[in-house]
Amino acid sequence: MLSTCLLLCAAHAGAQSPENSHAKVELIAEQSKAPPGKPLWVGLLFRLDPGWHIYWQNPGDSGEPPEVQWQLPAGFSAGAIRWPQPIRLVTGTVVDYGYEGRVLLMVPIKGPLALHSTRMPSVSADVKYIVCREICIPGKAHVTLAAPPGGDWGPWRALFAQARQQLPRPAPWSVTAEASKSQFILTVRGAPQVPSVMFFPLEPNQIDNASRQEFEPTRSGFRLRLKKSDLLVKPITSLRGLIVLGPGRAFEVGADGFTINGTAVHRAGN
Amino acid sequence: MKKQLLHSIVFIMAMMIALPAVWAAKVGEAAPDFTATDSNGNVHKLSEYRGKFVVLEWTNRGCPYTQKHYDSGNMQRLQKEWTAKGVIWLTVASSAPGKQGYVTAAEENAYLKQVNAAPTAVLLDPTGALGHLYDAKTTPHIFIINPQGTLIYNGAIDDRPTTDVSDINGAKNYVTAALNEATSGKPVSVATSRPYGCSVKYPN
Repeated sequence: MLSTCLLLCAAHAGAQSPENSHAKVELIAEQSKAPPGKPLWVGLLFRLDPGWHIYWQNPGDSGEPPEVQWQLPAGFSAGAIRWPQPIRLVTGTVVDYGYEGRVLLMVPIKGPLALHSTRMPSVSADVKYIVCREICIPGKAHVTLAAPPGGDWGPWRALFAQARQQLPRPAPWSVTAEASKSQFILTVRGAPQVPSVMFFPLEPNQIDNASRQEFEPTRSGFRLRLKKSDLLVKPITSLRGLIVLGPGRAFEVGADGFTINGTAVHRAGN
Repeated sequence: MKKQLLHSIVFIMAMMIALPAVWAAKVGEAAPDFTATDSNGNVHKLSEYRGKFVVLEWTNRGCPYTQKHYDSGNMQRLQKEWTAKGVIWLTVASSAPGKQGYVTAAEENAYLKQVNAAPTAVLLDPTGALGHLYDAKTTPHIFIINPQGTLIYNGAIDDRPTTDVSDINGAKNYVTAALNEATSGKPVSVATSRPYGCSVKYPN
């Protein structure tokens, strides 16, 4: 048994080298040092081979999101990943949420003011991820922050600017939710007229990822009917996620306090 | 009025025909019955196992999440422990021909021997019919059925959704927990969870 493991584990380690894993990971920063009183934005830049994907914070039916362990100077701390808007990845009846192509996962680094604003802090990270196409391959990378090639910050700054456009924003709408036996019904008021939208749930096991989302325009916005997940056995009190109108148009919505039987409707926060 | 009634009847009938397609396995409800053939050519019918607990475990030996539990011996341990206690453990391979994890009966039997696996049987489901009947999403994905034929668990093997063998120690194993509770007559406290893993490689 042990020898089997040694052999197989060695095979896994081989598959985990960045060259083989269909994903290249790099740690980049927006600038060399943080502006006074502000965090330094760093980011894990994933470059994925065509057709391969990594996962959003809620990966959907399969997969898992990347996991990061930071190594930072004393007194420094890393914030949470700011997840840009994901795409829906459909493989037959399995539906995942994630990213293809190139994606920057931005993270704010905070530190003692004096140190922080004088020179680039020494930042490194251990990143674990799974990259999938038909099949899945686990990957690991140890990445360290260094100055950009040729000392030209322009391209990296541009990547952060692009990534910021893909970050979800709090929805400036009123969102209410009802639950019927088999569906959640989100009613959005004050939203622009659009031909369709896509809801991405923040929590797993609330909605059935593979089911068609029924979109219905209304005079003041739209209504979205989402099939409940078969894995949902208890009533939920909160449904959170993103409503995506299009590229660069992702909005955070959250509806709280509705009941399973469907008549109670509460004003939603963001 | 009469026409309306007729419409209702037609509608209800249409719903009844449409139902099986959307009838996935739901905890607390009757587990869908099935007939499937194992890697030794034996036929298994779920309803013939009334009176026993049945575990369905979706597998794909090429999937790193499945490998986590077989390379570590975790899955084999569970299979041995629970089959020794009279539980029927059916591993299901739903990979389509040409896809990762597809196995012939002979390949599967050789593999079972090689890794010391100890399920009651491995059901070969290359059409994905059984997988779709239960709406199995991932490998692994676990379903547990009680002696009355009711589904009592649908979800992950444990609470650490990673491919790391080192995460097995200290993980809460949902299969152990559910079977411990159910076999001692208690309700299953975690009856569903997100089944983590690779997507099941169904035919296109």
